[in-house]
Amino acid sequence: MLSRQATAQENPAKPFLKVSGEVTTPLTLYADDITKMQHSTVIMKDRDGKEHSYTGVAIQDILERAGVTTGKQLRGENLTKYLMVKCADGYEVLFSLAELDSSFTDRKVILADKTEGAPLPNGKGPFRLVVPGEKKPARSSFQVTEFVVKFAKE
Amino acid sequence: MSRMLQIICFIAVMVCLLSAGGKVYHTATPLKIIYPDYFGNRIMIPADNPTTSEGVYLGRMLFYEKALSANNKISCATCHQQSLAFTDGKAFSAGVDGTLQPRNTMSLANLLWVRHFFWDGRATSLEMQAATPLTNTHEMGQSLEVSANKLQKRYTPLFRNAFGSDSITGDKIVKALAQFERTLVSANSNYDKYLRGEYQPTASELHGIALFYSSPEPTRHSRGAGCGHCHGGPKTFSDLFHNNGLDIIPKDAGREKITGQAYDSGRFRVVLLRNIALTAPYMHDGRFTTLEEVVAHYNEHVAQSNTLSPFLQGNSNSVNGTSLDLNSQEKRDLIAFLHMLTDSSFIRDKRFSNPFLN
Repeated sequence: MLSRQATAQENPAKPFLKVSGEVTTPLTLYADDITKMQHSTVIMKDRDGKEHSYTGVAIQDILERAGVTTGKQLRGENLTKYLMVKCADGYEVLFSLAELDSSFTDRKVILADKTEGAPLPNGKGPFRLVVPGEKKPARSSFQVTEFVVKFAKE
Repeated sequence: MSRMLQIICFIAVMVCLLSAGGKVYHTATPLKIIYPDYFGNRIMIPADNPTTSEGVYLGRMLFYEKALSANNKISCATCHQQSLAFTDGKAFSAGVDGTLQPRNTMSLANLLWVRHFFWDGRATSLEMQAATPLTNTHEMGQSLEVSANKLQKRYTPLFRNAFGSDSITGDKIVKALAQFERTLVSANSNYDKYLRGEYQPTASELHGIALFYSSPEPTRHSRGAGCGHCHGGPKTFSDLFHNNGLDIIPKDAGREKITGQAYDSGRFRVVLLRNIALTAPYMHDGRFTTLEEVVAHYNEHVAQSNTLSPFLQGNSNSVNGTSLDLNSQEKRDLIAFLHMLTDSSFIRDKRFSNPFLN
């Protein structure tokens, strides 16, 4: 245990995003994998009350890569599925899949890896969820580490 | 053998089986843990360890059982004393071999809502947590197998009642301990009474509550301490990890030791504030001996680093201020609120006390 811990400190792990739950292909995406995916830019008003640009990958693209029910498949019981977003500090926020799907909404929620063209600041990166158009940025959570897709069972 | 004799034998065998059934089948009584609605129901009870009256009773006995340590002198309750909200007043507790623990003993209360145990969150259930202090060489220092053997005979009826068979195993020991710990609900402080409309806080306490939950917004002339962001809600607990600015370079890397991620350096669990006035010294290394020192830390001494919580940055009650800048009256009021979280009935509750003394 102690030797394992020492190793972890000497060789910091690479940050990654894990996608699991109601998926056909569980994913572990590192920064390099995210960089290779199609990026788009959205504008969001931050805690400072100012608008900032964020660039990243549409959540829908990540879910599709994992084989989550999106688009035409997002009907019937699949509309009772949710995405739980988990962060390094233990923070968790939830979305229904329809909130993130381009067949339901024009709003594009992204997993940002850049802001104003630069990497995200310490404490917020490497991956931040950016949810444009909300009155407060409480779901635009920092240091996202995990997406878990589940059925709501009640 | 006549047909009649066969029938009599069959009936006799059936009667024996049925009467043995009372012992073979598990009949422990389900126990519903009572807590206020305002705590919410996002609780954690593993499917393979439901809470029962018999399990909780056994767990309480084991919590106070010194035979679970290698030198028969230490029980869980040695470091987790009820009168101090299940802490021991020390920065670092000593184990059976006299070695001091690397981190401060955590208080025990409202564990039903905790998903990550220890300062670094490495255990994801109370069952997993309990096994560590029992077996760690520098804590109670005894394998679960040896503990199970030492409990034979004396504890057999209690294990039978709780788990339906006479076998005593390490798994059942940690399960019973976890069941007992889940019943440690603290929900009768003055703050609870205020939430239930049964207590009128003093002006200082009310101001403390307001400061606790408000973020500082100097441009709007709104003052606050911003504590609620991490410690907020009626439970005064969220399952979070933050670097709260104790050191520029942490001596103890905290959660980074578990995840290996640089961004977790110096991150520790955000603690429950219930009974906080009873659980000094404070922080993972027990560096602060009073709540005044704790508040002074957040007000004046937060150390900047790459992993400092974003929620402790840019928080000031002064325009362009570099520290929280509460005045001395505000600090006193905040501490008055923290004292409201002391639950004197919890620390005297007979259900949680040493059964060997009653």
